[in-house]
Amino acid sequence: MIRIFNPILVCIRLKRTKIHLKLHTKRSIMDNIQLPEGMNPEVLSHLMNPQNYGKLEHASGVGVAVDEKTGEYVIFYTLLNEGDTIEDVRFATNGCQDTVVVGSMFTEMIKNNSTSFAQEAIQKMNAKLGGASPQQQICADMVLSAFVASMINYENLQEGKKEEMHVLKMKESCEVQDDAK
Amino acid sequence: MMQNNLYKAKHRLWLEVLFASFAVNDEAIKSRLYEFSLIAFRHMKWIGNEILACGNDYNYDRDAMMLYKRESVFELVQALKNAVAKTQALYPQTPLGERLRTDDAYLMEYLSQILKDSGNNKEITAFGMQRKWENKNLDKEQIDALTMFLFEESYKEYELILVYAYMQARTDIALHYNVFEDLVAESHFHLKSFGNMMAKMGILALPRELHELTYHIKDLNQFVHDGIAEEEAAKEMCRELSSAVKDEELSKFFDFINFQESYHIELMKKLL
Repeated sequence: MIRIFNPILVCIRLKRTKIHLKLHTKRSIMDNIQLPEGMNPEVLSHLMNPQNYGKLEHASGVGVAVDEKTGEYVIFYTLLNEGDTIEDVRFATNGCQDTVVVGSMFTEMIKNNSTSFAQEAIQKMNAKLGGASPQQQICADMVLSAFVASMINYENLQEGKKEEMHVLKMKESCEVQDDAK
Repeated sequence: MMQNNLYKAKHRLWLEVLFASFAVNDEAIKSRLYEFSLIAFRHMKWIGNEILACGNDYNYDRDAMMLYKRESVFELVQALKNAVAKTQALYPQTPLGERLRTDDAYLMEYLSQILKDSGNNKEITAFGMQRKWENKNLDKEQIDALTMFLFEESYKEYELILVYAYMQARTDIALHYNVFEDLVAESHFHLKSFGNMMAKMGILALPRELHELTYHIKDLNQFVHDGIAEEEAAKEMCRELSSAVKDEELSKFFDFINFQESYHIELMKKLL
């Protein structure tokens, strides 16, 4: 199996956000991160009613991850409060249902948590995605990258730059599926 | 002056009537509600055109909409009746407003007639998540594949209906207008087929909302090329599903959809 999800790439993106990763020494609740594995009731529930789906007015940062080859995108809205807590999040996509399920799960995971918790969640998800299908890896990468883009947008705005949303172009495309099988 | 809030309300009502038609098992009521849903969609189109003619714009935003996950036909029909009544107040005093009011009045009358016959008050099984197809012996793998296909494609058809309609409303090229008209009609049929199948399996769910990045098309050629690639992907999914689902009736249906997708590609090529 070709490994499409690139943890190094995400780490580079994270460095660009200048958000300092605070590693927790104690085991966190993220050890229980669940990724979509087959069609279980939880996955079905996210499919039937995706959580945190849509737009967010007055977001602190808006980010987009786009696969230019297929036109698929994920847009991510992040609202931070003064204490560096992710107060609210929304996402939307024209992508596949895997993207929707991962987006629904990831937003549930990071909502009302700190940005450092979110980064740790990305790394944990990244690690767990090693066993996922190439398509799931790409879908997850798009969701995570869109979140990272929203944080970059937040920082750019903080620095006084004018930017409606920050866009990250995906290096890998869903179109590679046949080769990867 | 027509405004986006009326468009949003009609969009919502279209989905409410459409998904009520999917949810109901009685074929006569299902068919009638589906007809009303198509009328509601035409209302949307006309409202949208008037908004554009006034120099304003509309969007596909939906305010926290949930499906009526009711357990009986009467509960669902009553909820639908309330929704229709609520929308009436938004209609303007214009010829179009009058048409909307009289169509909805007739729909309300039909809903009232359903409620008068207790024999219509059957159980709703569309939301039970039972994931079974009566009289068909599909194993878990087949059911999972079918489930994922239905979620993927029901969203995609909803998306296509709205994107094509959005572009149709904004083109002044007759050929494009006609192609979009055909593609919208085709996607209506596919959404109807998939929605009814989802209801049969107890997994009926509303397609997710469209973000404007999806329907604000800046490059028609790129859009068509992406659309053709998507149609090819849908054809492949149909082929895979047709061979995976060991049921002659379902396999034939997916082959039929596959062949329809082939012609969609030809229609789309006319836009280039």
